[in-house]
Amino acid sequence: MRILARFGVPALLYVFLSAMVIFALFPAFFVVQAAFRPGQSLYTLTLSLWPDHPTLDNFTYIFTQIPFPSWLRNSLGVSVGTMVAGLIGSATGAYALSRFRFAGKQMTLILLLAIQAFPSVLALIPIYLILKTIGLVGSPFGLVLAYMSVALVFCTWNLKGYFDTIPRELDEAALIDGCSVTQAFWRIILPLSIPALAVTALLMFLTAWNEWVMASVLLLDENTYTVPVGLWGLQNDYRVPWGYFAAASLIVSIPVMALFLGLQRYFRAGLTVGGVKG
Amino acid sequence: MYRVRAATTLVYLSPMIIGVGLISFYPILYNVFISATNQNLYHFRRYSFIGLTNYQSLLKTFDADFFIVLGKTFLFVAICIPLFLGVGMLAALALNHPAVRFKAFWRVALIVPWAVPSYITALVWKFFFNGEFGTLNQLYRVVAGPQAGLPWLTDPNWAFASIVLANLWMSYPFFMVVILGALQSIPSELYEAAAVDGAGAWRKFWRITLPLLRPAILPATVLSAILTFNTLNTAYLITTGGPFESAAKPGATEFVMVYAFREAFQLFNFGYIAAFAVVIFVMLFGVTLGSLRFSGLVREEGR
Repeated sequence: MRILARFGVPALLYVFLSAMVIFALFPAFFVVQAAFRPGQSLYTLTLSLWPDHPTLDNFTYIFTQIPFPSWLRNSLGVSVGTMVAGLIGSATGAYALSRFRFAGKQMTLILLLAIQAFPSVLALIPIYLILKTIGLVGSPFGLVLAYMSVALVFCTWNLKGYFDTIPRELDEAALIDGCSVTQAFWRIILPLSIPALAVTALLMFLTAWNEWVMASVLLLDENTYTVPVGLWGLQNDYRVPWGYFAAASLIVSIPVMALFLGLQRYFRAGLTVGGVKG
Repeated sequence: MYRVRAATTLVYLSPMIIGVGLISFYPILYNVFISATNQNLYHFRRYSFIGLTNYQSLLKTFDADFFIVLGKTFLFVAICIPLFLGVGMLAALALNHPAVRFKAFWRVALIVPWAVPSYITALVWKFFFNGEFGTLNQLYRVVAGPQAGLPWLTDPNWAFASIVLANLWMSYPFFMVVILGALQSIPSELYEAAAVDGAGAWRKFWRITLPLLRPAILPATVLSAILTFNTLNTAYLITTGGPFESAAKPGATEFVMVYAFREAFQLFNFGYIAAFAVVIFVMLFGVTLGSLRFSGLVREEGR
């Protein structure tokens, strides 16, 4: 019994953890090996875990033969646009909701909560019909507007949550000393919130960068596609080797995964609600 | 909390209020408006008001699509959440065990699925489930012979299980991280005192660990249940909601959001699906409000 406690338990733990790591990392490993696999060699009935003749052909192909570079540019533009507009549009409102006393505040908060409970797939139906009426279906600008419907509420909620944690005494003391509300916001609240602003911005960027549903409905032309829509089309066609999809997936995922893993120690309750997994 | 002039309040609030009003709130109102019309592919510009007819056809009989889809989705959530929670809990307990070394390595490796964009997760698992070239059947043939194969995406029950598996892969890290954080905040004196009183590992888990994890697990479970209820990417991208037994009935993995997406953007039944959206939204908002009130958050917001 004592031997079991000394060696058995750690051994069992390592066996379990190793099994979990294989489960967790196998799909990632699979994509990496598929990205270096030539042509149709993935389409076999027997298991093969590493290509016999690794090649960079898939990477050359996606950068020269298909509009993948445009997809990257479009995704970058749409994500940065959503991030910047979301942050600028929400910061002062979040401050007012955190610090000002005014009639209808409770109502505003409940409405924001209700909007956040409205799933984006369902919101896409009226948004699509409205954008269709004003002729913005197919335009990246329309897509940014659609993303803003999620981004503004998400940023407001996140920033308000963070502003609430900044001790009220700080800005109240400044106000008593003759500071204006605007000065208190710019000189005290914003500088103290830089980490929260950065995390919120990056979460917004990730959400837009990884979004497939809205983009698949609102973008019509191959040259305006964002990466998720482009990649979806790429793997949907059985004549196209899966290696192209794998190579493109690697390029798209590695930076955002690094970003996500770097950020995840900042995920507290307030910063995870409503975001990240879309 | 301070009182400022109404004009100042308005200036500070207006960018957010105007933006949210036009881009988030107006579409929801517009959705309610569409739900009272017969707008679809044939009546796209010239639709007419039909009152509550869409709601009637939605809820008319117990074998209506609405109840089938909702039932499937509830079953899906009921199977997924205990699995996510169980695997996340085991992983967190293992990571928190004093005998385990290189904790940072194990932790990062196990979080990786959370960081992968969900559409890529779906498309990769779709390939794994492929009957001929899929990795899962390639593995299965090693054990069961060259002719063998499991119907991952072609049999209704297998397809359901496949989507559960793909969702488990991407969702357990969330619970693992939440539970690990809560575990590390439990003071070790409690365990020492329990050990002095003669409690075994099992008893310590049920009497100390689990009760102290509850405040962290409950909100995480509600959040994850809502996200799982809203599953679209994994289900739609892997099976498109199928396999379908007949064109008139929802497919085996056609969960609420998959159904809404297909009805709206493949069949263009806008009026009908807008009514569907209103009913689903009322349910989701009820759950959100209920869980917030339950955890006392709303009262705190009102300060």
